[in-house]
Amino acid sequence: MDAAMSKPIIRLDAVSKTFQAPRGGGMVEALREISLDVRPGEFLSIIGPSGCGKSTLLSLVAGFLSPSAGEILFEGKPITGPAPERGVMFQDYALFPWRTVIGNIEFGPFARGVGRRARRDKAGELAELVGLKGFEDRYPHELSGGMRQRCALARLLANEPKVWLMDEPLAAVDLQTRIILQDELLRLWGDGVESADRPTVVFVTHGIDEAVLLADRVVVLARRPGRIKAVIDIDLPRPRAPLRSVPEVARIVDQLWSVIRDEAAMAIAEEGN
Amino acid sequence: MSPAMRIGLPFAVVAIVLVAWEIAVRASHTQGLVPLPSGVVHSALALTEDGTLFSALGSSLERVVIGFAIAAAIGIPIGLAIGTVPVLDRTLRPVLDGLRGVAPIAWIPMAILWLGVRGDAALFVVAYAAVFPFILNTSEAARRIPRSLFHAAESLGAGRLLLIRSVVLPGALPFVFTGARIAMAFAWGSIIAAELAIGIKVQTARRAVAGIGQLMVDTLYVRRDVDALVLYMIVIGIVSFLIDSGLRRAQARLMPWTQR
Repeated sequence: MDAAMSKPIIRLDAVSKTFQAPRGGGMVEALREISLDVRPGEFLSIIGPSGCGKSTLLSLVAGFLSPSAGEILFEGKPITGPAPERGVMFQDYALFPWRTVIGNIEFGPFARGVGRRARRDKAGELAELVGLKGFEDRYPHELSGGMRQRCALARLLANEPKVWLMDEPLAAVDLQTRIILQDELLRLWGDGVESADRPTVVFVTHGIDEAVLLADRVVVLARRPGRIKAVIDIDLPRPRAPLRSVPEVARIVDQLWSVIRDEAAMAIAEEGN
Repeated sequence: MSPAMRIGLPFAVVAIVLVAWEIAVRASHTQGLVPLPSGVVHSALALTEDGTLFSALGSSLERVVIGFAIAAAIGIPIGLAIGTVPVLDRTLRPVLDGLRGVAPIAWIPMAILWLGVRGDAALFVVAYAAVFPFILNTSEAARRIPRSLFHAAESLGAGRLLLIRSVVLPGALPFVFTGARIAMAFAWGSIIAAELAIGIKVQTARRAVAGIGQLMVDTLYVRRDVDALVLYMIVIGIVSFLIDSGLRRAQARLMPWTQR
């Protein structure tokens, strides 16, 4: 299968985004002329220092924001707003506090008009798949951070979206939980299983090692304004989970770090002001 | 401290204070101005037996419940509207803040002029007092729902109607309930005030519609019974406490996710 030859599932064509800064500030240029093709079935990571606009980029693809200039296409058609074909996972989980685990998981099918019986069954299966069996009737506040993110993942899976848009989904959980969830994420995505209908993942993170371990390609953003600084292919075999301690991974992480070090240092210096 | 002591001690303190009170009032020349604990008990028994207390309580509560319901029916939709539509917030808020500054009691003359002394005037005052907590808490509640919840719902396929039903309403509900508790306290406070102000006429003309407040006016001017006055104050306090704990229990039942 030649991924490079297939048509992009998402295409960003010279996308720029400017914001009105809050409280009477001037205009802030968050992203400038981002052009990027996302290939169907690939796992794409976006990294960059804080304030580089990586979350903004994801919000644009999700349809929560619209570009100030340029165009974003999904399967050749312009994105006009959020849609269930592009599922989203949020750093703060964004689970509905008033719904139980099952209630959260079944929300997508519920919103799309799937009957009660069918969506309940499906939600139950997904709860088991993500390791939440026995917690179906708990409310989000009764769950640990890792379990909340499992629930959010199951909620996304329930709609069977073609694209998973993930905004630093593992940033708020502890290290051990993060490692376990990375492996789970890869497994659920279909790591090591070549399949034509594998979902496409756009994964925003500030963890370089996380990006390297998970992704086929890593997009490095520069900040103020956010621009693409580099796109790096990660030529590691799949499945990836066993590679966690392989020296090759550390070498690629080092290489990526040298690309973004100056940007990161500048970000820290500016934040210190 | 043993459990028996922990429960018994406060009762013992209260009992000692009451006995001392009784002795002090009897020994002084303040009878008729300061209530006697024994007199309050006596009034309670007498007014319960002849039904005066419960019929007055019933008509006050009826007005409170109806006024509260009207306030909820008006206040919640307005609150949701101004909480979700910034333009409405900017235009309506100054008007609401201005109105809110006019104490409910200040409306009594107008309410009597428009609605008469039958009890509808008191109802109006109650609804007026209770509507603002509903509006303010509901609008604040709607504003406070995290953006990411709307985004999550939209990206899961929710349309505008479902956003309102499945995000705005449940998201706002806990705060609305807090508003309801404040509204109920205001309603119960202003029914007494309104009945005191509307006063004695209704009490003599149509006994059935007299509420607790009207009974207090009658007790003050006609019967001059200080023990009964204190009894009414105690009853008002107890009823207020019971209503609030009922609402809190309803909240726990209806919104299990708010229990930590």
